[in-house]
Amino acid sequence: MNTRTKDQMIAWGFLSPALAILIAFGLFPIGYAFFVSLHNWRIKKDAFIGFEHYGRALGDGQFLLWFLIGLVALGVVARLRQMDAMRTGWLGWAAWFLYVPALWILLSWGLSGMLETGDERLYNGFKVTFFYALGTIPIQLSIALGLAYLLFKSLRGKGVFRVLFFLPYVTPVIASAVVFRTLFSPHPSSMANRFWEFWGFEGQRWLYESRSIAVVILQAVGIESYPEWVDTAFPSLALVSIVLYNIWVYVGYDTVILLAGLSAIPQHYYEAAEIDGANSWQAFRHVTLPLVSPTLFFLSMVAVIGTFKAFNHIYILRTPGARDSVDVLSIAIFDQIFEFHNAGYASAMAFVLFVAILGLTFLQNRMLGKRVFYGD
Amino acid sequence: MATRNALRGRAIWVYSGLVVGGLVAAFPFVWMLLASFMTRGETLRRVFTPESVQWANYYQAWKEADFGLYFENSLLVAVVQVLGTLFFSLLAAYPLARMEFRGRDTIFAGILATLMIPETVTMVPNFLTITWLHRTSPFPWLNSWPSLTIPFMASAFSIFLLRQFMRGVPNDLWEAARIDGAGHVRFLFQIMLPLCRAPLLTVGMFTFIGSWNSLAWPLLVTNTPDWRPISVGLQQFVSEAGAEVHLQMAGAMIATVPVLFTYFMIQKEFTEGISMSGLKG
Repeated sequence: MNTRTKDQMIAWGFLSPALAILIAFGLFPIGYAFFVSLHNWRIKKDAFIGFEHYGRALGDGQFLLWFLIGLVALGVVARLRQMDAMRTGWLGWAAWFLYVPALWILLSWGLSGMLETGDERLYNGFKVTFFYALGTIPIQLSIALGLAYLLFKSLRGKGVFRVLFFLPYVTPVIASAVVFRTLFSPHPSSMANRFWEFWGFEGQRWLYESRSIAVVILQAVGIESYPEWVDTAFPSLALVSIVLYNIWVYVGYDTVILLAGLSAIPQHYYEAAEIDGANSWQAFRHVTLPLVSPTLFFLSMVAVIGTFKAFNHIYILRTPGARDSVDVLSIAIFDQIFEFHNAGYASAMAFVLFVAILGLTFLQNRMLGKRVFYGD
Repeated sequence: MATRNALRGRAIWVYSGLVVGGLVAAFPFVWMLLASFMTRGETLRRVFTPESVQWANYYQAWKEADFGLYFENSLLVAVVQVLGTLFFSLLAAYPLARMEFRGRDTIFAGILATLMIPETVTMVPNFLTITWLHRTSPFPWLNSWPSLTIPFMASAFSIFLLRQFMRGVPNDLWEAARIDGAGHVRFLFQIMLPLCRAPLLTVGMFTFIGSWNSLAWPLLVTNTPDWRPISVGLQQFVSEAGAEVHLQMAGAMIATVPVLFTYFMIQKEFTEGISMSGLKG
């Protein structure tokens, strides 16, 4: 046996235990989940029912078809606009208007019908997940960038602050979530209510509040009548409380990684900017921000995937009072498994979630990936 | 003089921002510690510090609420999972970082792609696989440590981090070792392993935290207290014993101490290892 084949065998031998586990418990389950989703499956396998579960989850097939046609149309328009002839001149401007019919097909012929005929739990899960992502990611990244910048500028005590900021991230979720449950409890003695009432407001129900934050604010200033969409178009106060917890946990992690990104920027860029007469804001805007953008992009990718995976803290922080206003998709799916013992339907919902994650990651890569500056 | 004053002014801004951030980060810990020493009555009143320290809360949580047993379970599961993950990830990362073989980059990309798979998708099939293994294998899987550890012993993140580090090790070391007659196995365990101290500690810490936090999966595969981890124990305690805030906080403290202790022991390597994960390489 020559060394080349021997090397090959060693390589595969080293890889095989990890690969076996990853395949058995990571890749194979995706195919298996799809198989389960095509059956009536409670405790045991039952009749094959094809795509019935998907119909129940997503809604009537014709609406789904229009939704997909709308998606493809949007993709085609985006591709058209990339072509050279479309970049400039009136053709480029005209191409913008092609988005309108594509979106119209997607939303009005597809999505609205799906929402009407599909599973309320699934679409509520998407809505809550969307609110959750929108409430956490931009805020936590901005705070983290600010803190990382301050840490970078501070001369002494860098290590102490870094350890301190990182504490929430390493603390067991179960413990810190239990603490937040008492901090944001509706009891008058809870920290949130003490803080709130200190400023002269009335105590709130926090994690037990299923009404939207907009309604809560309106009522705090004395407005009692409002249109119904005010309650449905905003996240509930319970979800906002969970968002605050999430920000508290992840700001430290983001800060530490951004600090590493900031430290990797060569000092001579700043010197060059100073010679060119840039003030500190201009240096931040034109040197720091573009050079730290790959790190920001990485963190936002991690955060988006994390939003879809979020489970533990929401499971602990959810209360009967919040009803379904905090049930992100993974919670809704777990309920199907754990409460309703409906493995078949849960797998169908999980598969929809999986496809949504794949699609979003792809989109994020295409749209944001190009704007990221990777240096030379 | 003017510049020095300006510098001092800026330092004040920098440090006050950092201090505010630090206070917000630390506040829940302070509250957890203080409330864990309160009486039940004190947790319901608007006090911030307990009048006298109630050590009995810890005794009560440990003995009567069974946190002692759950704590042992979690510790055992975490140790098994960390050791397994370190060993398998080290083995897998080495050829991906330092050997040439067909399909290497495809396999590496495939391993990274598993990071996108949410646990909710794999939960049902994995539960079915585990019940099948439980029935057919000579030792039990459900309500025991294998179901809690083995499925998580290969993590894409661990393999990724170790590979990134190993790629940075100078090739001269390998050349020298080969001249001395060492093969890949000896090189990995005698030269590479000691060099990988920091990334191994990072990966170990991450695995430890992940194992300690896991909640959904243990809820599915354990239905007796024998192997119930502390995450499940605390969650059930909170949802059952509504207003016992002082005991909840004592339980939360018990769940926090081992993780924070480990973190403080290795925080330097850990923060460095994490910082590395965000950089391209």
